[in-house]
Order: sequence, then structure tokens, then C-alpha cells
Amino acid sequence: MTESPPTGLAAEINPAIRGMMRAARDMLQHEHSLLGSLGFKPLLLGAGKTSFSLDLPARFGDGSGMIHGGFLTVVLDSLFGLTVFTAMEEFKPIATINLRTDYIKEVAAGSRVICDSVCEGVRNEVAYVSGRLTLDADKSLIAIASGAFMVGTKGPAKGSRL
Amino acid sequence: MSAPFEISRIAAHAASPMGEWLGFSGEADGESAVYKLAFSEEHIGNPMIRALHGGVIAAFLEFAMQADLAARLEAGAPISTATMAIDYLASSRAEDMRARVRIMRLGRRIAFLEATGWQADEAQPVAIGRASLRIG
Repeated sequence: MTESPPTGLAAEINPAIRGMMRAARDMLQHEHSLLGSLGFKPLLLGAGKTSFSLDLPARFGDGSGMIHGGFLTVVLDSLFGLTVFTAMEEFKPIATINLRTDYIKEVAAGSRVICDSVCEGVRNEVAYVSGRLTLDADKSLIAIASGAFMVGTKGPAKGSRL
Repeated sequence: MSAPFEISRIAAHAASPMGEWLGFSGEADGESAVYKLAFSEEHIGNPMIRALHGGVIAAFLEFAMQADLAARLEAGAPISTATMAIDYLASSRAEDMRARVRIMRLGRRIAFLEATGWQADEAQPVAIGRASLRIG
């Protein structure tokens, strides 16, 4: 018995999306002036599901040796957007509608973390994503988050965060 | 526990690595302040689009809410974010952003705040953030 994909999601990453995924991965890992400095490493790239590890440099600290929570939102917004792309049947520009983050635990500057995210479904051109950040060293939970993304924005992808 | 709005604490709050990365500052405006994100190239989301990264906008609004609360509490009162939520109302440009903060309720242990961020026109906000901040 095979599992059906959640509402509105592709069963596997569509070949039409793969070129865009490679471009997004290259941007995350090398080309983007900010994101390229975080040592992104893909652990899983599936249809509507991704997992990445990355560094949290001290320059995003809160002054007490810990990372400022706002920087975790930068990471979550970027990777949630990428996860929406993995769920698409064809490439369309996206834009973040909203994002909510609950901060469970502080994380020390210089830590390496894992961001797991899942596109839970797509309805009426709105994709819903949830995810979590955990510490790579002991897998303890740092933050949980959820967001909604508009799929197929008009014109250039003005609001796309990737 | 609460004290008059003390603008000097905002500069102290901004003097962290994250505050410097955001180019964060605040100017007094009556009993509150107008906060500023000074644009830099690292704040860009997609280089093809040249808009602020959505996460950067969220970080700026969260930082502004923390600064605003810090300016209303006794010096050194510990503040941490329990929950942050943001709605993106309009696309942004690759330029400075400003924000105002409203205190919805200042409790003994939790404060509820709302921040509105804009660029060209305050009447056309780019994003609205809400945070529950833990005091102590």
C-alpha cells in the first residue's frame, strides 16, 4: 500500500522543478551574500519535505553569547520557501503571507542546527508549511514555526524570499 | 516594575551583534519611538528581486518590540521572546524600513506588543508583527 501525498502536493519532486531547486541550492550554499555564509548542507530534499543543517555565526548574536531569535526567522523563512518549491507541479513564484515562531530554547552563537520543514498542503494557491529547528549536537528543540505562502504571485516574484 | 519611556536604553539594546547587523536605531517620538532598519546588501532576499528578506523584516520588528519594551522597564530587566508572528502586507524594496511599536498589554511576566513596519509611506505598511515577550 502506498501513501497518498497530502492535499495539493506532488507525489515526488517534479522534474520541471529540479533545475530551480539546483539554482536555489547553489544560492543557499554559495551565491547569496548572507545565506551563502551559513554552511547550508541538505540532509533531505523530497516532495514537500526538506531538512538542512547550517551554522549560526556569532555576528547574529544578542550580545550575551546567544543567537538573536530574529535570525532564526531568517533561516525559517528561507527554508520554508524552498520546501514550498519542492511540493510544486511546476515552477511558480511564491511570497510569504505570514510566519509564526515559538522560541523553545536559546541557542549559543556558533552552534550548528538542523531545520526540518514540511509543506502540509496547498489549497486555493496557499501553501501551508510547518517546521522545527533543533540543535545538531543533541537534537534538542530550539523553535517550532508555521507559515503560509502565496503560490503563483503575479508578475515577477516580488515577495519571494529565496 | 514599569518606568517612564527611556530612549537611552534603545541604544544599549541596539549595541549587540544582531542590532549592528540590522543597522538598528530608534529616535524619540513623544512617549514612544520610531525605529529604523538601515538597509545593507545582506538584507536582500532574492538577488533577482532586490527586496528585503522576509526574515530580516521579521527580525527588525521583533528587535524593535524588544527595544521598546526595554525602554519601558527598569534598567537591566531581562526580556526574551516567547512567540513572534508576522503578516506580510505588501512587497518591500531594497531600502531602509521604519517601525512603530504599540504595547497591547504590559503584564508582570508577559508583555504583548505589535509593530508596524513601512518604507515609503507610513499609511501603507509592509508588515505587521506581534510578539509575546517574557519579562524576567
